[in-house]
This record gives sequence, C-alpha cells and structure tokens, in this order.
Amino acid sequence: MKLSFLMRVMKFGVQDFFRNFWLSAATVSVLTLTVISINALVLMNVLGKIAVTTVESKIDASVHFRQDVDESRVKTVRVALLGLPEVKEVEYVSPEESLQQFKIDNGEESELVKSLEEIEGNPFGATLIVRAHDTSGYSTIMQTLNQPLFASLIEEKDFSDYEAMVSRLNAITGKLEIFLLAVTCAFGVIALLIVMNAVRVSVYTHREEISIMRLVGASNWFIRGPFYVEALIWTLVSVGLTVLLLYPALIIIQPFLQRFFGSNSVDLVSFYTVNLLSLVGLQVIGVAFMTLVTTKLATARYLRV
Amino acid sequence: MIRLKNVSKIYPGNIVGLQNVNLHIRPGEFVSIVGQSGTGKTTLVKLLISEERPSSGQIVIGGWDISLVRSSEVPLLRRQIGVVFQDFKLLPKKTVYENVAFALEVAGVRSSRIRAIVPQALKIVGLTDKVDRYPRQISGGEQQRVVIARSLVHRPKIIVADEPTGNLDSINTWEIIDLLRRINGFGTTVVLVTHNREVVNSLQRRVITIDRGLVVSDVEEGKYVL
Repeated sequence: MKLSFLMRVMKFGVQDFFRNFWLSAATVSVLTLTVISINALVLMNVLGKIAVTTVESKIDASVHFRQDVDESRVKTVRVALLGLPEVKEVEYVSPEESLQQFKIDNGEESELVKSLEEIEGNPFGATLIVRAHDTSGYSTIMQTLNQPLFASLIEEKDFSDYEAMVSRLNAITGKLEIFLLAVTCAFGVIALLIVMNAVRVSVYTHREEISIMRLVGASNWFIRGPFYVEALIWTLVSVGLTVLLLYPALIIIQPFLQRFFGSNSVDLVSFYTVNLLSLVGLQVIGVAFMTLVTTKLATARYLRV
Repeated sequence: MIRLKNVSKIYPGNIVGLQNVNLHIRPGEFVSIVGQSGTGKTTLVKLLISEERPSSGQIVIGGWDISLVRSSEVPLLRRQIGVVFQDFKLLPKKTVYENVAFALEVAGVRSSRIRAIVPQALKIVGLTDKVDRYPRQISGGEQQRVVIARSLVHRPKIIVADEPTGNLDSINTWEIIDLLRRINGFGTTVVLVTHNREVVNSLQRRVITIDRGLVVSDVEEGKYVL
C-alpha cells in the first residue's frame, strides 16, 4: 500500500510538471540562472587562485655575490638555502653566464658593453636565483641571507624589490578570498530568495487545487508529495541544463583565458570535468534542499484546517 | 446519522454564523436546507465536513463526534461524506476519469479497484463517453455530474450538496436533482442546501429553514417559505 502511495505521488508530481509546462519552464529558468551564477562564482574563485599562482610562480629573488667569492662558497650558500623548507629551487648563474646575459640584454655594440671590454675582465660575480614555494617564504629566506655568515659574501640582493610586491600580493590574495566568500554568501542569500519566490508562485497558482484535494480527503502528505516531486524535477532539470550550457561555454572561452594568462595551466575545462560529480552532487543537494524547504513552507498555509 | 446539539459558530468580531442549532437527520433522509444568503447555510456545510470547527456544541456523524476531530482525522471524515459544491471544485489539470479516480487514489485504494469503481460511478451520472475530457471541455451540468460521481466513489452514507444547481440552467438543474434523488433512492442521506424555490417545492421532502444563524422551521414534506 505504501509503495502504491509513493508511486501515485511520483506520478502526480511528474504529471504536474508537464501539465503546468509554462510554469515549470519559468521556474526551471530561474533556477538554472541561479545555478549558473553560482557555478560562475566557483569558476571565478578557481580562476582567481590560478591567477595568484601564476603571478607567484613568476616571482624569484636574485642574490648577487661579490666578485671575489669563489664558486664553492656560493654553492655552499645554495645548499644552505635548499635546506630551507620554504625554498622550492635555487639556480646557480656563473659570472660568465651573467656577463653573457648582460651582453645579450644590452647588445654587443652598446656603449655599456664596450666600456666593460675596456676594463678587461668580468666584473660580475656569481648569482643565485631563488624561488620559494610560497610568497610568504621570501621573508624567511631573506632573514637567512642576512645572517653575518652569508651577508659578508653578498654584493647585492634584490629581495627588497620583491618584498613590497610579495606583501602586496599576499594582501590582495587575502582580500580577494574574503571578497569572493562575501560575494558567494550574498549570492547564496539572493539565490535562496529567488528560489523561494519561484516555488511560492508555483504553489500559489495551485492553491485552488490544494483546497480541492483537501475536500476529497487527501492527507497533507499526499497533497505535499507531488509538490516535492515537482521540486526535485525542477532541481534535476536546472542542474542538468546548467551542465549542458556551461560545459560548451567553458570549451569556447578556454583558449581566450589561456592567452590572457599566458599559460596553459589555466584549464577550467579539466577542473570542471574532474570535479563534475562533486559539483553536480553539491548543487543538486543545495538546490533540492532549498526547493523542498520552500515547498514545505509555501504549502503549509494552504493545508491548515 | 447526523446530530447537532447546541451548535454555535461565532466568527471573529462576534459575527454569528450559527446559534444554538439542534438537528437530527436520520439515515436515508433527503433534507433541504433553505435560507437567505448569509444566514448560515454554508457555515453548516463547512461544519459538517470539518472545514471549520464549532465554537460550541457537538456534531455527531454516524456515531463519530466530529467537533473533537483531530486534523489528521479530517481526511478520513471527508472520504465518508460526499460533497458537491456550486463551483464544482474539479482539478482543472486532470481529466474527468482522473478527477473521479483521484478521490480513491488519495485514500490508497488499489488501482484494480479504482479501475472497477470509477466507470461505475461515471455510468451512474451518464458520463461514460467523456472520460478523457478536461473540465474546461465539458458543460457546467456535466462538470457537476463529475463532482457527483467523485462524491459517490467512496459509497458515502451522506452526500452534502451546497447549492449544486446554482450555476446551472433549468434543464441541467433538474438533471442534477433527479440524480440526487436516485442516489437517495440507494439509501444515501442527502443534505441539499439551496435557494431554488421550485426545486424545494417539487421535492416534497423535509425542509429546514435557517435565518440569522437560527433554525426557524423544520417541516417534513415542507415548502420553501421565505
């Protein structure tokens, strides 16, 4: 008996969805737009993180050693730096390579290069190019290099140039995360209100039917059931439509994003594909929860005896 | 069958719906309840189907004190009383067959039983050829017959008809009254609330007159005397 009740409730829910086609279409449209907006927000969040990572990966710090410091001592410093957990890699650039690079950068015929040739000899010392795992690691690296043992060997280090930039970037990253969290929360509230309104309108248009169902002896559960089924269908259709619309859109905009960031690591399509199940699952749960709770609240006022 | 003891219904603002009404309607009776608009006829119908609760007094239907009925029991009560309204109250998105079947489906009746009962009910009201039509595709008289078919499917002991001919022309009016008479002939108690003088006078059955919430006359084989 219970099973036939359940089957009837499902049948009526499906019937209502199709027989109130335009109302269903309007509700699904609103829900789809809401889900697309939430997806866009998630993807913007991902994009923001990719952007920060891209910028961070381009940051390095150069440590220029005095001309009289020999290679073995520079390499000792390198080993010491590599021992720091914050350090990702340390590249050794010999004085010869530095000179060669200087000539390339300024041109063989330039005044600067000619004046160097007059000096006869290489004025450059060795250089270490240091990259940290994280921008916050540079302050530790700088503290290490400021120790007297190392400081006496170093001619110049351009950490200080980066220091301001790194702290700025960290501040921006932190603020961006707070901003996106706030936007997500605000959007969540707006989405909740939109969904509540759409469901309330749908239930309101059925108020006459609800009173008739009560008159012929339908229990509250039997009256509410088809609305719940309809709400679940709206949820599934809207999330499905979102995937169908968003996936091709991502494929289209992917090349533009990669060109903009100058990196193939910006791959939203892969992110979406890999996380499809969890994204769809979370959205179905979230939207279904919203629609079901709203349906319960919206039908309650018409079910009072 | 139906017994009202000192039943009053007072709405907010001290508006009197019914006042100290005492009634006893016996099984198998055909009772007409008459009175001018706003005298409490519809209030009485709403109390009988537990759409509203009395402010005081007791309503007993078939031994069941419905003045104390719990909300969860109201659907059970409504499955035992057939109700017919002036404005039909059909589900617009369901066909004639589905509207009639719905009253059984909500009660959890097996599909095979529904397939057996619904055509019988539709045959009684003469609508076997319009089972697939939607309410908007049939006339007012036919819609009212669908409502009567729907009210019959539970084989109720009582049918309460609130102005069932109010929206119908005279031909359809007499068809509906004949139908109610036939149903009464099967032993079902019929409570007919109406304004229609001709109908009441032609029935020559018990007439209860309500005025300003009070029962002012109760006459066996009565006439419309307002």
